[in-house]
Amino acid sequence: MRTAPRVGNFLLQFLLPAALLLGYGVWSAQADSFYFPPLTEIGSTFAETWLFERVPVDLLPSVSRLAAGYGLAVVVGVTAGIALGLSRRARLTAEPVVEFLRALPAPALIPFALLLFGTGTNSKVFIIALGTVWPILLNTIDGVRGLESQQLDMARSYRIPSRSVLLHIILPAASPRIFAGMRTSLSIGIILMVISEMVASANGLGYFILQSQRGFEIPEMWTGIVVIGLLGFVLNWLFLRVEARVLFWHRGAKGLLGESAAAPTADAAPTADAAPTSAAALTADAPTPVAATADGRGPDTATTPNVPSTARSSRPVS
Amino acid sequence: MLEVSHLRKVYGSEETGNVAVGDLSFVVGEKEFVCILGSSGCGKTTMLRCLSGLAPATSGQILVEGNPVDGPPEDLAYVFQDYSRSLLPWMTVERNVSFPLRYKGMSKQEAKSATADALDAVGLGDRTKAFPWQLSGGMQQRVAIARALAYRPRVLLMDEPFASVDAQTRSDLEDLLLGIWERYAVTILFVTHDIDEAVYLADRVLVLKAPATVTTVAEVDLPRPRDQITTKALPEFARLRSELLSALRH
Ligand SMILES: Nc1ncnc2c1ncn2[C@@H]1O[C@H](COP(=O)(O)OP(=O)(O)OP(=O)(O)O)[C@@H](O)[C@H]1O
Ligand SMILES: [Mg+2]
Repeated sequence: MRTAPRVGNFLLQFLLPAALLLGYGVWSAQADSFYFPPLTEIGSTFAETWLFERVPVDLLPSVSRLAAGYGLAVVVGVTAGIALGLSRRARLTAEPVVEFLRALPAPALIPFALLLFGTGTNSKVFIIALGTVWPILLNTIDGVRGLESQQLDMARSYRIPSRSVLLHIILPAASPRIFAGMRTSLSIGIILMVISEMVASANGLGYFILQSQRGFEIPEMWTGIVVIGLLGFVLNWLFLRVEARVLFWHRGAKGLLGESAAAPTADAAPTADAAPTSAAALTADAPTPVAATADGRGPDTATTPNVPSTARSSRPVS
Repeated sequence: MLEVSHLRKVYGSEETGNVAVGDLSFVVGEKEFVCILGSSGCGKTTMLRCLSGLAPATSGQILVEGNPVDGPPEDLAYVFQDYSRSLLPWMTVERNVSFPLRYKGMSKQEAKSATADALDAVGLGDRTKAFPWQLSGGMQQRVAIARALAYRPRVLLMDEPFASVDAQTRSDLEDLLLGIWERYAVTILFVTHDIDEAVYLADRVLVLKAPATVTTVAEVDLPRPRDQITTKALPEFARLRSELLSALRH
């Protein structure tokens, strides 16, 4: 029963891109424009260029710079964010510096990065990390500060050592905010990857696009743009998959699991905000950990996921 | 065993602050079941926070199993008033219960059987893989109780644990708790608003008046095992109830 609407949704998602491509194809075929080459020409150039001749030359360097810079930002942002989130004093001390550095657009530091690290990979990694660390840092701080004091009291009363509190309570509790920051940072990271490669670079997607334009190779330029678009699309999709898996408890606790379980694809983000009204399908075909409980008492599993959250919010705190 | 003498707790400074616990002294004997009755805001939760070592007392002394409390004591478990917030939504029921056990020095095997035992005892043996948010309020409360039981405490503090469940679930949970109390031989200090609940459960009921001072002590000599229908029909039950009711009013 479920597969029919699913296939329908899938097709629906292809409708607009297909129409746009078709429209461009028809128009460009007769337009004879230098700047907008025919779709067929872009297609054949794409195949020549990116299957797979320039993949190791330009795509891989770009992706690995992004991975290194973004990875560095995640590690630094989460670590520092937890420290600042936990200590008011550290927060007060760091705040002016953080606010200043955050206000600085990362591209403004490209010349400095080139001085410091040369024109190779390191300067790009530095710029990407510098630009992507802030959303992660600030969100982590907020996430840690939003911790339920009751959970910490519980940990204290059971004498749980602080290392485990950090790992099993603080980190998971802050993870919804951490992921929110990481998602923002991912798009920033892609932007900075391209910009940093357009300045003093010898390879990479940004370099490729700029070089193609300078050599009046317009179809090549367009294929580079398409590759970046596809890269962003795929990375975002992967990110949402991971997020849905890691944070499924968060959706569940907020009563959102029904929709996200039915469609854990790229559209998971919009549906999460849309607060689905159908709670009926809740645990039926959820990811593994939840499905394991569906064999319990039927009525409970089907109706309860909304109960805790409402019960919680309506409870008087005394 | 639990001894409290001249406990005082002031939020803020002594002169301008809020006196939550004035001058509180009482003793709970080994394996005794003591209920604390008191109206809202009279300082019951504050008292428990001091006893559990979560909040420092302003003055006075607390002994748990003979040791002065200056941090959370080893053999004590505390079931919070706001239980649902004390469960971790990213852990399954089973994991929530077993989480503190490893740090108490239990082996993996011991922790596993203590967890299964406690969850069976509260009637959640079949929901071990569920997440707290998939359970009803009463079930979540039972998870919090199971977590306390699996910890094998010698002293159990409970703060209005059944306040937010319906009457039927409530009486089921009361009977469950009595069964557990007998089986695990723990000392229980149980805070509630509900006079019937206090009389039904306790060996002794203390009435607190703001700021948390004992005004009445009632010994409950109702026979055990107790039963929701017959115990509550006893004349002695009615007498205790009206005694406590007037104590709470005055
Ligand atoms: N963190 C705090 N800071 C300042 N005052 C507090 C704090 N916690 C409690 N109080 C005050 O201490 C008094 C006792 O509060 P407490 O929570 O102990 O009451 P309670 O008997 O548990 O009430 P209830 O039955 O509603 O749970 C109240 O006057 C309350 O305002
Ligand atoms: Mg209270």
